[in-house]
Amino acid sequence: MQRRARFQALCQSLRPDLLRFAFWLSRDRALAEDVVQESLLRAWKAQDSLLDEGAAKPWLLTIIRREYARTFERKRFATVDVDELIAKEEPMLAAAEEQDISDVRAAIMKLPDEYREPLVLQVLMGYSTAEIASELDLSTAAVLTRLFRARRQLRAACGEDTSQDPQE
Amino acid sequence: MMEHSQYRAAIMADPHNADAELRAHREACAECRAFTEKLLKFESRLERALRVDIPPKADVLPFARKRGSAATAPRRWMALAASVLLGAAIVGGVWLSLPQPSLAAAVVAHMAGEPEAWQRTEAVAQPELADVLKDSKLRLKPDAGVVSYASSCAFRGHRVPHLVVQTAKGPVTVMVLVHEAARQVTPFDSEGYRGTIVPVPGHGSIAVLMRDSGISAAEIQRIAARVDESIVWTG
Repeated sequence: MQRRARFQALCQSLRPDLLRFAFWLSRDRALAEDVVQESLLRAWKAQDSLLDEGAAKPWLLTIIRREYARTFERKRFATVDVDELIAKEEPMLAAAEEQDISDVRAAIMKLPDEYREPLVLQVLMGYSTAEIASELDLSTAAVLTRLFRARRQLRAACGEDTSQDPQE
Repeated sequence: MMEHSQYRAAIMADPHNADAELRAHREACAECRAFTEKLLKFESRLERALRVDIPPKADVLPFARKRGSAATAPRRWMALAASVLLGAAIVGGVWLSLPQPSLAAAVVAHMAGEPEAWQRTEAVAQPELADVLKDSKLRLKPDAGVVSYASSCAFRGHRVPHLVVQTAKGPVTVMVLVHEAARQVTPFDSEGYRGTIVPVPGHGSIAVLMRDSGISAAEIQRIAARVDESIVWTG
């Protein structure tokens, strides 16, 4: 029971970050909850492979990424219509106290997956470039390129002055 | 000398890149400095945008429900920003009083030794803050708020970061207690301080407290959750 209680406490403390990560992966809050729930069940079964509790967060994020990929494969989703996703998540997008946040959220929703995921890992999860490269199995140069493009697209979409941005 | 485009591409990929060559370019180039400032402003928006609200939930994952129930369960993502750290005792409005765990008592006692910590309002210099945090292997995210006091304090046999963060609700003291494992969230209300001890699995716990100004139990928990989220563990 003590083991279970310890694992529950771990899940509780990390739950907000895990749900946010899953949400930005899927851009669908219902799917994010399912993915996190399933991932935590998998994590519970595989907890012996977690040797250092301090590394629990990246360990769980990796499980979530894999579970999301499995879910995606299982359900064989049709092509994603971003405008539909935005409409579906409108209450959340509009929940921000400030309009400028809502704008950024809508722009993030429209980012391609390959730009959105490293950006979320960096900004929200605090990953270094090397850690993102390892997690996504990319070179550090590729990660930096994706992060650069992600910010360039976001800034443009949010009406920021991009005239001084470098060209690739 | 690094070219402007090189600098801007690098800083757009990682606005908090602390590379010495980037810093040198920024210090020497007013245009790139202005560019960086704009980028950091946007970065703050970006970080706030990514931090979508998560509803409080009494259930404890992953045992709370079986797979498949999520699709039909009512979801309250739009609830006010709140934390999973809200325990049943807090939801019920029940505050625990000292003496409870001696850890909370020790935190309150420590406040009496550094009354000046509450007085300061200006941000401490980044190198000073980094120096205080380095032994605990953590850093703060850029939107953590203004840290107006940072000291490495002796506490129960260890050196621990003692910070004061300026928030919309007033100054909040944060003690990062990597050597103090806590089993559960422990709110306390004693000697004019209201606060909470929050377990951080793998990293001990953090203590968050305010001088009692009528702030609610739930508000303290929200602040503590926000503080917890602002910490990036580096080791």
